[in-house]
Amino acid sequence: MKRIEEQTYYEILEVAPDATSREIQQAYERAKETYQNDSVAVYSLFSEKEMEKIQTVIEEAHRVLMDETSRRNYDQTHPSSLSLKWPRSEKIPETPESPMEKKTYLPFSEISVDLGEGPYRGKMLKQIREKMGVDLKTISMETRISLKILEWIEEENVGQLPAQVYLKGFLKGYAQCLGLDPKKVIEDYLNSIGPAKKK
Amino acid sequence: MKVKEMSQPSSGNRKVIWTIGGGKGGSGKSFITVNMGICLSQLGAKVILVDADLGGANLHTFLGVSPASLSLSDFIQKRVSHLQEVLIPTAVPNLQLLSGAQDLLNAADAKSVQKRKLLRSIQHLESDYILVDLGAGNALNVLDFFLMSDGGILVVTPEPTSIENAYRFLKSAFYRRIRSAVSSSEAKALIDGAMDRKNELGIENPSDLIEAMTRVGDEEARKVSQEVEGFQPNLILNQVRTKKDIEVGFSIRSACKQYFGIHLHYLGYVVYDQDVSNSIRKRRPLILENPRSKAAQCIAEIASKMANRHKMAFRLQGEEQ
Repeated sequence: MKRIEEQTYYEILEVAPDATSREIQQAYERAKETYQNDSVAVYSLFSEKEMEKIQTVIEEAHRVLMDETSRRNYDQTHPSSLSLKWPRSEKIPETPESPMEKKTYLPFSEISVDLGEGPYRGKMLKQIREKMGVDLKTISMETRISLKILEWIEEENVGQLPAQVYLKGFLKGYAQCLGLDPKKVIEDYLNSIGPAKKK
Repeated sequence: MKVKEMSQPSSGNRKVIWTIGGGKGGSGKSFITVNMGICLSQLGAKVILVDADLGGANLHTFLGVSPASLSLSDFIQKRVSHLQEVLIPTAVPNLQLLSGAQDLLNAADAKSVQKRKLLRSIQHLESDYILVDLGAGNALNVLDFFLMSDGGILVVTPEPTSIENAYRFLKSAFYRRIRSAVSSSEAKALIDGAMDRKNELGIENPSDLIEAMTRVGDEEARKVSQEVEGFQPNLILNQVRTKKDIEVGFSIRSACKQYFGIHLHYLGYVVYDQDVSNSIRKRRPLILENPRSKAAQCIAEIASKMANRHKMAFRLQGEEQ
């Protein structure tokens, strides 16, 4: 358990170390809303002094992380904050974008989770994951596959995807985590993205 | 509403126990317990609902059944020797009810030995899911039931009174959990002291307590840290009316991380829906009475998520072994 002064700016804003500026901004707005003085979620838990301290650190984290140069300097002086291997005890909290919690529920007509037979394209994998109520960060933590790569896989971002030999390994890990047949997922996925990565 | 089976019934050793509490009366604990239980049973799982609101049991009313002739009272009073003997079937396939004590005025103050026996017996019941509905308040009995599972569920409405009570409840549960983990009288005394916010030890929050605990001994401090890490309660926000209400759940989660150092899972929310009140008046579970109502859909969604999360956890555990 870390005190507020021991937490990295990323932990304070509850974002991953590779968060985009947009994600940081959204997280900041949420944190600001949460820790405003009359917030129903905090007034009975924290003292006035504690609130002031938290509010100050949130502002500081936002200021540093939103400025490219300051963020780079911060990352260099706090290398541990960039470690993607977060200890299990300090799971990265789901971000506001997490389909697991934040987004409104899937259309109710789609409430059932049918793992289906494929074809397993990026969009399909995403749908299955969302219906299982699992966010991408959880998958990333369990598989040790970087969040960015998982995003690219779901987006079928061919330009960014790694070479096929690596991609296969990532697809296998992701498929296993979702309880899908890795062989089928790899086959379908590679077929779906065309010849670009079939080397 | 037809919910496709996405959660295979777990095998005997993969029993899941969810305890549902939250401090304040009227937040919807029993309503959510019953309806989540029905959702799970519709998914094909064996479910037992336990009415552990020892002071004001009425789960049977939410289910639309008359007070059972057999209840927890019979077990507590030793009129039956095994807890499964007081299980009663319901009209819902796969769903059984363990009715709460009806006639035992002091059931809420059940003696410690009785309580331990009851807790053990609940844990040994044969089922895929056991949902335990708790009473309001922070009585030790309620806390011990809540702590029976690693991930108890807090049902909270997005109002200051409900949230305040939920935090009070969470604090009591938090300190009770770590108190039961330490062994030295010095460490226990420190925790007792910390529970009084105006203590003279200078301990204002759990962080201060953990720091103070290291002065008692590394081993005790390690145990406390381990308990904090393992304590991962869940949150359901009930009677949500606006988008801002939904956001309150995220704020509570963040506040819990910052204050207690615990990871609170925000499972989802149930919208405010007049159909809920109508179904309770009719003594018919909403999920059966009006499965297409918004609130019923929310509960079905949460139940599906929970079932899937556990399914995935079991699978990952299996792979690790």
